[in-house]
Parts: sequence; structure tokens; C-alpha cells
Amino acid sequence: MSEIQIESSDDELPEEVAFDASKSAALKSVKDVLEAAKREKNSLKEKRKKRQQLFQEQKKRKRLPQELLEEFDKEPQKQTGPSDNKGIYKKVSKTKPSDNKGNNKTPNLLLYLYTLFSVGQYQMTNNSLTDKTKTGTTAKKISKSLPDSYRVTRIKDESAAKSLQQKAVDFIQSRLYGPGTIRTTNAELLSLRKKRGVNQGAAVGFLNKKLGASQKARIARSNKRFIRQQKLIPL
Amino acid sequence: MGEFKVHRVRFFDYMPSGIRALAFNRDIERIAVARMDGSVEVFHCSDRFFQEKIIPGREQCGIEGLSWVGERLFSAGLNGGITEYDLTNQKVKYTVDAYGGPIWTIAGNQQGTHLAVGCEDGTVKLFEVNEDKIQFERNLDRQKSRIISLSWHPSGSKIAAGMMDMIQIFNVETGHSVHRLLADRGVGTSRSKECVVWSVVYLSDGTIISGDSVGMVKLWDDQTGTLIKSHNVTKCDVITSYLIVPLEWQNEDSLVAGTSEGTVVQFQFISMVLGKDDKEWVRTRTFKNHTHDIRAVAEITTAVVSGGMDAQLVVRPLLDKVEVRSAASALRKIHFPHRRLVSCARKSGLMLFQYPGHLELWRLGESEGKGSSLFVKRNPEKLLHLKVKGEDHIRCSAVSPCGEWIVYSTASSLRLYRLHCDNNNVSITKISKLPMVLSSANQLCFSSDSSHLFSASTQSSVHLVSLSQSGCKFVGTLKPKSGSHQAIHLLAASEDGKWLASANSDHEVHIYNLQTRKAHCTVPVYSSAVTAMGIHPTTNCLFMMYADQQMCEYSIEQKQYTDWSRMVQRKGLHRFWMERDTPCLNVMFNPQHPSHVILHDTYMLCIIDQSLPLPDDKTQFYNQLTLKSLPEEQRKSHSHAFKVCKTFKDILCVELMSDQSLVVVERPLEDVASQLPAPIKQKKFAT
Repeated sequence: MSEIQIESSDDELPEEVAFDASKSAALKSVKDVLEAAKREKNSLKEKRKKRQQLFQEQKKRKRLPQELLEEFDKEPQKQTGPSDNKGIYKKVSKTKPSDNKGNNKTPNLLLYLYTLFSVGQYQMTNNSLTDKTKTGTTAKKISKSLPDSYRVTRIKDESAAKSLQQKAVDFIQSRLYGPGTIRTTNAELLSLRKKRGVNQGAAVGFLNKKLGASQKARIARSNKRFIRQQKLIPL
Repeated sequence: MGEFKVHRVRFFDYMPSGIRALAFNRDIERIAVARMDGSVEVFHCSDRFFQEKIIPGREQCGIEGLSWVGERLFSAGLNGGITEYDLTNQKVKYTVDAYGGPIWTIAGNQQGTHLAVGCEDGTVKLFEVNEDKIQFERNLDRQKSRIISLSWHPSGSKIAAGMMDMIQIFNVETGHSVHRLLADRGVGTSRSKECVVWSVVYLSDGTIISGDSVGMVKLWDDQTGTLIKSHNVTKCDVITSYLIVPLEWQNEDSLVAGTSEGTVVQFQFISMVLGKDDKEWVRTRTFKNHTHDIRAVAEITTAVVSGGMDAQLVVRPLLDKVEVRSAASALRKIHFPHRRLVSCARKSGLMLFQYPGHLELWRLGESEGKGSSLFVKRNPEKLLHLKVKGEDHIRCSAVSPCGEWIVYSTASSLRLYRLHCDNNNVSITKISKLPMVLSSANQLCFSSDSSHLFSASTQSSVHLVSLSQSGCKFVGTLKPKSGSHQAIHLLAASEDGKWLASANSDHEVHIYNLQTRKAHCTVPVYSSAVTAMGIHPTTNCLFMMYADQQMCEYSIEQKQYTDWSRMVQRKGLHRFWMERDTPCLNVMFNPQHPSHVILHDTYMLCIIDQSLPLPDDKTQFYNQLTLKSLPEEQRKSHSHAFKVCKTFKDILCVELMSDQSLVVVERPLEDVASQLPAPIKQKKFAT
């Protein structure tokens, strides 16, 4: 196609193009390029601005509300003991007012925990305090704005040695039993032995009633619930 | 021999703890075993592997390594401290914090002067072993990854340390790392995981042998720092390796490595062609005696000992080093501890189960009917679940024969409780004001009328405490006239309350007169340890069972062996009796048949009738079935003194209650196996 075009253009006389027109065309093209570059820059700027705003918003969201932080500055905090390990709940508790007056050990600076933490790492320092938090009747909340399940504690009271030991145990557990290892169950091992053994018998799961008793009980209960829900058995 | 109603008890859910480390001391022929729950046991290798000493563990104690220095035992664990044990009193002597984080390995040099520990923070710390304590000397150069295994060069000048992905060789003098040997990661998916060098062994000619998590046993040269040979042993981790070395440290020619699959592989330094001199390390034997991971292997002079997560200690003799076929040359598996974990209140039908962290008190059920399997009228019920206060594990416990007193002892405390048992209510009160001497006990025993408590404590002495409604009062201390200060592991009181016998780890048995509170006599020391003893109710003869399956009877009043005992020694015991490989743990007497002695070990229950003749080697030993088939008149001429019953398996305890019923506490090994940690999946043909 291009060859035919070239041939056709070769036969005709060249076009007359005025100087002005070409000049204006060239200038226009340069302007266009500049404008395009500017537009690009602006759009990038906008994107960056938007991103920055988004991050700031996220940061604001993660922080506890401003009033709470002010309130913490005023009141002393004491560490509470490890409550039941339901994972991610935080609880705020307060010492008795009488303790506060004579208590010069109030911490000056507190580290606020913005992210979720595992409850089990904290030690029991004050047994009576934990009793109070457990009963819940004498534990006063610092502010009504803080939800019930929030608790503020200090990181530095954590015992470093215990967590190192836990990390070492986790390392060995993950290397020997973690992902990447091919492990099977004891029931399977015993069943295979029975299958290939001298007196061949059925798998251990069928013979030994105690194996998996809790799972069987759970399944039986959920079956009962399902039947009742679906009203499969006419009452 | 009589009919007994037998209570077959299987609700004692005792779980033995997995074995984590082994250490063999060649000079005193003891092997120390460290378990996952922190307890350390010492077995005597030449005395049929009797469990001489048990040092109970504690919660949150992760022992990772054991090391003997001379006759002292040290251990190091994930709590960051090095612990020395007082083997005389069977407790922890002291703990020194290494300040390096969790300690993964401990090794002593051959000269016995220094201990090296490998820590989580990447340092190898050297400790000097002084007479009474260990002293931190210095650190070797700190590395970036954790130190998992250590081995000293026999000369003591170099240390090979196995870390993540590499092995470093340190010069002990300067502390600097001389060579870095890089271990390969595996192929495929395991390339992303770091290779852990679980164990290293340093030979005197400069060869380093390592076992790593890829499943390879590699040989390295320390002069050039290069790999010589690598053997692919298994697909999973090769966890431990141990060098078999005879006394002179000259021919280091044998090595055992244990894997996660439960196999023990032996490598030997032999020449490939017979007669030629060029030797190399060749994989020779494979032993498959375990089902779960093997965490420790060790070598005795003629056998390989291995232990792992299946909590069994397996002794596998190397048959090329054994000359005579004897009891010592048989495969031996030790499942249960050689101590009684169950005590029974004979008069009230109660049983106390001792777990490491708590005690359980059960009342036996009732049955009715006739036949071989009786109908259970009332199920056994659990009356009490008593948790130990504190982190230590229970060392010993006892319940009084009347069922009113419970006592237990840990390494640091002793607690006494009074039990009130109405028909439906069980209540327990702690006796708070205990005498000062009752701080901890190695063994506890009640007198037969439940009026006194005997507590064995330090220096082989026994404290005597009287019990009454108001509480307990210290009465006196029974001390042996002379002898060793080893801890007492067995106590036996006579029925009439006049005599008390105590046996300690030095094979000494002392008999005390309780009325004068003085030592009465000492039984002649035998070469084997006492595993069980009991005092006959009417004749006051002390019947003792030894770890080498010998038995003897000592008359307390006449201070000499009885005639029956001398006859047994003269005639000798039957071959099948001597070849049993588990020790007898309890000796009981039947008031209705004074000539009967009831014994049990892990696989059999035996009644010895002292009025019948002893079997000689040619007679059939297990003759109960044959006797049944014979007519009445012929039975008398064919029967001999040993009546063995093999109906019950994996027996932990047998007791005779006052209502003439037998209680047999069994712990089937399948139930233990079903609660162990997960094993490696192995593909077997046709499954």
C-alpha cells in the first residue's frame, strides 16, 4: 500500500506550503508537547497529594481519639494481668484512688499500643489488681468513651527472657513440625502397623473408642442441632 | 495358688515425656537422660540399665543438652542457664545464667577443664570448670546466626560449631573463626528454608562430620575448609549424631546418626576392599527401633542407645562387639520409670496416681457375678485432683493405708493433707504447720497403722513424724551408723510397726528399730541395686528383689539371710527368670497364705510359693497351662515355686488390697502412642 502511495505522490507536483503555516504548525506542536508534559506533572502531583491524604487519614484512624490520649496523660496506669486469651481485646482498669495518692511510681511516659497485641505475654504484677479486674465490679473505667474491652499496658514491663525462650521453642516447632515437614497422625501410624502386622486388624480409629472422642462428640452434637433446626424428625 | 478378683485399671493416663538428650560417662558407666519436661535420669549401664537416680523437672524448663565433666553432670537449656546437678541428693545444685539467650548446646572438652555453650545470640561461651562452681571465661567471636551444635577437637584447641546454613571452625586460643564451611540447602521447595546443622562431630584427624536438616551426613576437611563426601541418609532431618570412640581416643572408627524418621544409621571407618589400607567412612547399619523422631543417640562400649519423642530408651547392642550371648546382648526398650507411680490405700480401696504436675485420687469400683469378666456394679470414680503449687514437678507421693492422709514432695517443698471421705463428700485440709525438717523428701512412706510418716531426706537419713487428729509432730531422725550419703529410693515398713528398711543408691540397705529409733543392722551390700523390697507381716523377713533379677530374703530379728534365701542362692534361678528385662517394682505378701510372695514387673505377675521346690534349668518354667491340663494328683509333683501369670501387659503397679482383691494398673502402649507428637509420614509398600 505504501509503495502505491509513494508512487502516486511522486507523479504529482509537490505542494506549495506557505512559511507561516509551517511555522505555526511547528510552534503548535512544541506547545502541545509542553502542555502535555505539564498536564502529566500535574496529574502526578494530584496523585501524590491524594496518596498523602489517604495515609494521613489512615494514621488518624489508627490512633485513639484525642480526648483519650489527654486523659491518659493525667491518670496513672498500672499493668493488669493476663486475662483469658481471647486474642485481641483491650481492657482499661484503674487502681484504687487511695493507691494513687501515695504512689510515686507512676510512669511519666506511656507507650501507646496502636496495633493489636497478644495478651498472653504480660506478667502478673499485682495479684489483687487482677482479682479486681476479673470480678469486674470494682474496676472503674477511666473514660466512658473508651470501650469496655480496651486495655492499656506498658511494653517495657514484659520479660525479655521469657519471650526469647518462647521464640526458641517456636523455632524448633516450626522446623520440626511446621510447614514443609511431612507429618502424619499417630492414629495413621498405628493403623498401618495393624494392617501390615502379624495379627492384622482394622484401623485404630474403629477399634479404639477413646481416639478422637472429643471430635466425635462435637460432630454428634452438631448433627443433633442440624436435625432440630431442619425439623427433619417430626416432633 | 488361689483365685483373686482383679481390678484392671486403665484410667491412669500416664504420659512419659520424650527424651531430648543423652550423655554417657565411660568411667562410671552411667548414662544420663534428659527429658522434654526437664527431668534428668541416670541409668546404670552395667546393672541392667536400672534407673538409679531421677531428678524431677519443672514447668517451662527446656533442656537442650547434657554434658558430663568427670563425675559432675551439667545441663543447658532454653531458659538460658547452665545447671549443675547434685547427684548424691538427686536435685539441682545451682544454675548459672549464660546471658546469651536460650542455649542450644553444651559440650565439655576431653581434658575436663572447660565447658562450651552455644547460644541463641550467636556466641560460643567458654566456662571454666572449677571445683565447686563454673566460671565464665570468655566469648568466642560472635556470629550472625544461632549456634545449634558444638564439638570440641580432641586436643581442645579448636571448636566446630554448627549454625544455620554453615559450620564455623573456631580457634579456641584466639577466639576467631578459622574456616567457614557452607552447607547446601536442599533442592526444590526446601531451598527457601535455611539448612540447620543439627549436629557436628570433630575427629582428631581434622575431619568434621555434620548432620543437617536436609537429611545429609557430610564429611568436611578442616585444613582446606571443603566438603569431602556427603551421604544422603534420609529425606527429613538428621537430628543427632554421635561418635563412637573407644577409651584411647585412637581409633575413632564408628559414628551413629539418628533421624527424624526413627532410624539410627551407623557409619564406620573401614576399608572398602578387604585387606587394603585405604579407609573411608561408609554407611553400614540401619536400626529401626523407633516410630517417632530420634532426638538423642549415644554409645555405650558395646551398644547404641537412642531416645526420642516416643519416650522409649532403646539399647541396641552391637553384636560384633559382644562376645557372649547373655542378657546384656538383647535389645532392650525402657518405657516406664523404675519407680512406683501408684500408691494404694489397702484398707479403704483408694488409689493415688502421681503425675508430674498433679495427683489424682480414685476409688475403685465394685463388681458382682462370677466368671472371668465380672459385671461392674459401680464404676470407679475420681475423688480428688490435686494440683501442685509452684513450678516443680512431684518427686514422690504416698497415701496412707487407711486412706486419710496424702503426702507429696517436690524438690523444694513437702505437703501433707488430711482427707475426709464421707459417702458423697470428699474434703481435704492442708496441714500447714509442718516440722522444719520436712522440707523435701526423696521417698515417702506411711506406717501400716497410718500413725507415722517416714520421710527420706539428705544423707541417707529418715525423718519420723507422728500423725494425729491435731496435726503432725516431729518425733526423730533415723541415721545409718556409717556408709554413704546417697539418696534413699525405697522405704519399707513392717506390719507391726517395729521395723523400717531403707535402700539407697549405693546399694546399701539399712534396717532401723522404730521403738528405740536406732539403726538395727545393715544387709550385706550386693553388686546390684534393690528394685523392690517388702517386710513379711508375720516372720518379719525382708524380701528384696535386685535389678539383675536375683532375690534374697533377710531375717531382721536374726540379722542373717534365711534358709530359703540360701537355698535360692545355692541352686540358682531359672534361666527364663534371669532373662527378664524389666525390674520388679513391688513385693507383696498375702496374709492368708504366709508362704506366698507376690511380685510383678512390666510384663508379668508372679506368685512365689516358698513351700514348693525351686525349678532347675531343665523344668518348664511357665507351666501354669500345663498344670491345668494335668489331673489333680500329678499337679503336685510337677509344680514348682514360681507361678507366673502373663495375662496383663504394660503393668505399672500391682497391689493386694485388704479384701483379697488384686489391683493391676496397666498403661497400654498403644494409648501412649496415640498421644505422642506427630510422626513423619513414611510410605510403606502396599498401603
